[in-house]
Amino acid sequence: MSNTSHEVAQRSHHTSGATSTALSAHSIDKKFPGVLANDSVDFDVRAGEVHTLLGENGAGKSTLAAVLCGLYQPDAGYLTRNGKRINLSSPRVGLQHGIAMVHQHFRLVERFTVSENVILGSRDLPFRLNRSDINEKVAAIAESYGLPIDPDATVGDLSVGQRQRVEIVKALYQGAEILLLDEPTAVLVPSEVEKLFENVHAMTAAGKSIVFISHKLGEVVEISDRVTVLRNGRVTGHVSGRGTANTKELARLMVGRDIELNAQRATHATGHEVLQIRNLSLVVNEVSMLSDISFSVHAGEMVGIAGVAGNGQRELSDTIAGLISPTSGSVTISGSMTTDRGPIKAREVGLAYVPEDRLGMGLVPSMSILDNLLLTRDRQLVVDRVSVRPEAARLIEQFEIKANGPDHLARKLSGGNAQKVLLARELSGGRGATKLLVVCSPTRGLDVGAIETVRRLLNDARSAGQAILLISEDLDEVLSLSDRVLVLYRGAIVHETPGETAQLSQVGAAMAGLASEGPS
Amino acid sequence: MRVPFRVGFEQRGETPRRLSLLVPLASVFAALFFGALFLVATGHSPIDTYSNMFQDGFASFNGITDTLALSTVLICTGISAAFAFQMNLYNIGGEGQLYLGLIGGAWAGIALGDHLPTLLMVPVVLLCGALAGAAWIFVPAFVRSRLGTSEIVSTLLLTYIGASLIKHVIYTPGSFFRNPNTSFPQGRLVADSASLDSFGSSRLYPTFFLALIIAVALYWVVKRTEFGYRINVIADSPKAAHYAGINANRTTIWVMLISGALSGLAGAMLIVGPYGKIEPSIITLGYGYAGIVVAALARNNLGLIIVSGILFSGLRVGGNNLQVTTDTPIHIGVMLQGAILLFALGGEAFRRYRIHVVRVHDVSTKKVAV
Ligand SMILES: Nc1ncnc2c1ncn2[C@@H]1O[C@H](COP(=O)(O)OP(=O)(O)OP(=O)(O)O)[C@@H](O)[C@H]1O
Ligand SMILES: [Mg+2]
Repeated sequence: MSNTSHEVAQRSHHTSGATSTALSAHSIDKKFPGVLANDSVDFDVRAGEVHTLLGENGAGKSTLAAVLCGLYQPDAGYLTRNGKRINLSSPRVGLQHGIAMVHQHFRLVERFTVSENVILGSRDLPFRLNRSDINEKVAAIAESYGLPIDPDATVGDLSVGQRQRVEIVKALYQGAEILLLDEPTAVLVPSEVEKLFENVHAMTAAGKSIVFISHKLGEVVEISDRVTVLRNGRVTGHVSGRGTANTKELARLMVGRDIELNAQRATHATGHEVLQIRNLSLVVNEVSMLSDISFSVHAGEMVGIAGVAGNGQRELSDTIAGLISPTSGSVTISGSMTTDRGPIKAREVGLAYVPEDRLGMGLVPSMSILDNLLLTRDRQLVVDRVSVRPEAARLIEQFEIKANGPDHLARKLSGGNAQKVLLARELSGGRGATKLLVVCSPTRGLDVGAIETVRRLLNDARSAGQAILLISEDLDEVLSLSDRVLVLYRGAIVHETPGETAQLSQVGAAMAGLASEGPS
Repeated sequence: MRVPFRVGFEQRGETPRRLSLLVPLASVFAALFFGALFLVATGHSPIDTYSNMFQDGFASFNGITDTLALSTVLICTGISAAFAFQMNLYNIGGEGQLYLGLIGGAWAGIALGDHLPTLLMVPVVLLCGALAGAAWIFVPAFVRSRLGTSEIVSTLLLTYIGASLIKHVIYTPGSFFRNPNTSFPQGRLVADSASLDSFGSSRLYPTFFLALIIAVALYWVVKRTEFGYRINVIADSPKAAHYAGINANRTTIWVMLISGALSGLAGAMLIVGPYGKIEPSIITLGYGYAGIVVAALARNNLGLIIVSGILFSGLRVGGNNLQVTTDTPIHIGVMLQGAILLFALGGEAFRRYRIHVVRVHDVSTKKVAV
């Protein structure tokens, strides 16, 4: 997060192609029961520019984007497109006006090919599809914006970054002039982010407009022509002109105070072994997902697992949590063998687990915050919600979760606030005292203020003698927090280094499969 | 063929709350309007017909007591369906489980003879009926939870077998369930101790209150207990259930067994109540299938089953009485029931989608419906 100044310098020679206003929102109000998610918001985006929406979790960014693309209808205010008033009664009408949104959770059919997904939902298809024509058109669009992709590839086989590319190509195929990208980089690895930004430049150069949402301030500084800051549904700040902002300023604009995301490491001597993994291997459908992994985590120690997504992180954490039975090897948590014993057993001996997939796995979307807190707790025959309610209220306050109270449904939380509920539950202990904390991408989708809080809580947990396994694609995070860093590549640990002396270049090389040194 | 406009469906980002109430009401009215067209076409007065129906279904002593009597059965089959549906388990074989409830209940009522007092006998009969219903769904439940085999097909197929079983036990000479004293095939009456008395001159039995209690109790179970919590987690997110160590297989089996038991109970209620024996005409009445309609009208909300069960029963009682009190064919009543179901399900489209009419030569869209 400190290398932004040279990025700014690098960017500043770009001429701003922005001219006329393509789409503007005029004093938009959007109410949900108990919250005013957008409070007379004025916003506009010009042709050929990147306009970023920045704000804390629950500030109303996704809501505004949903209004801009026709998914939500505003309660007050209106939109204009090229100066003319428009009424977007649905996303399809939005598309007719050239406005498309790329959602964070992709809406692709996995069994279909890229082309099939791209034309899905198009209205003006001939009765008989001419595949080669469509493939050509899809490939042409993809090519012209630097989004190379095989039209015949099955979407289920593509990586997250490639799927996102399909979504963008789909929007462009449907004639989008204005693209709304809601936290597109949250699911990407750094190299994919770079690629995405090249695409964004190609699109703006072609006169298209981008509305960009992200919590990663470095990225925001790098890509934005203008930034609008939202807070509690209201516009509280503007930064215009590329390169005029730096991350510190943006953070202050967002949360109203300075944020320190400094490296902190264990001050305690590490204690006994809490997690012990011996020769763990996992083979799924004859594909080796984990091969011969051995390591341990001690009380008061934070071990970070770095690696590009899809190299076995999910399999490793799920196996430790007792959700997957390994093909061979063992997992021992505070002295109890938990291999093959299921998730309840693992939790009974002191595991808390924040999975990667928050709304899919960690939370039950249609349940309240309160009920979600009960998910990994001991429940009586008659569920006792009364006694948990005060604790729920306390956690909502402590984690600054923007919600109407313990009964707020998880699916009606903003992305970052859902993540906070999950963290609140797992960090506050469940069945018995937590001894081992396995956290996957804990700060993904969180605003800088929340990141600071979560990191502080992780450090507190470590100081309190918990053993922590931090699995994250965010290399900065792993390097700045961990006492020890392990690199996972193709299901094997290929590099190990103390956090304090970890070399970014070495870890990076190991992540790319160029390990110079085996596991020690 | 060229039409100047086209109807488009757009998924709603959110469902306005008022629609949740408006849609079921509008469905009933649309169905009544639809029925009125038919009545007019066949030379009947819709107003007279409907007021007769209302009179016979709700507004007279016999009407309302008959309605509540029928709702006793339909509330049970309704919760049977809704309880499974809310977990995305489509037990559409409530009909067959109800037959088995009849058989199980009759068996207990006959075999245990007059050995037990009524106070014990009736619960035993009801329990046997429920167990028989549960037994009838055990195999579908087991293969569904272990192999993922569609319970829709298996429960439906078992309904046909159940119907054959009813015919078999009544029409086979010398059958245990057949009345040995008449040459005409009839069910054998259960012991006196297994029969309840109806209230006064009505055909309403105390089992009605049992149905109410069960509906309320099950609602409470789903909302308040650990078992209900599990059901809600699995229904919404099987992955989260796995994460939390909730055994989905076991819960699936239990939910299906309870669903089967409730339909079986409905059958046994007929034994201790109005029938007192196996009535082979049961296979023409479709009480189990009607439970699916009752569940659909209540949108599988256990709290609403009592209301939708009574409403639907009133419609049916009123419709059936039409032929007696007027010359309106009984099929009008049946058709109305079907229409209400269709409109209720169709109405869902309005809750989930916004409907537009788009002129083909014109990009602009005109919103004509909510
Ligand atoms: N469907 C909904 N029903 C009720 N409240 C909602 C709904 N969607 C959003 N909200 C509320 O509106 C507010 C703004 O939410 P929004 O999703 O726009 O936040 P955001 O700025 O995108 O946050 P994040 O960075 O966490 O994604 C939040 O307080 C949220 O709880
Ligand atoms: Mg959001």
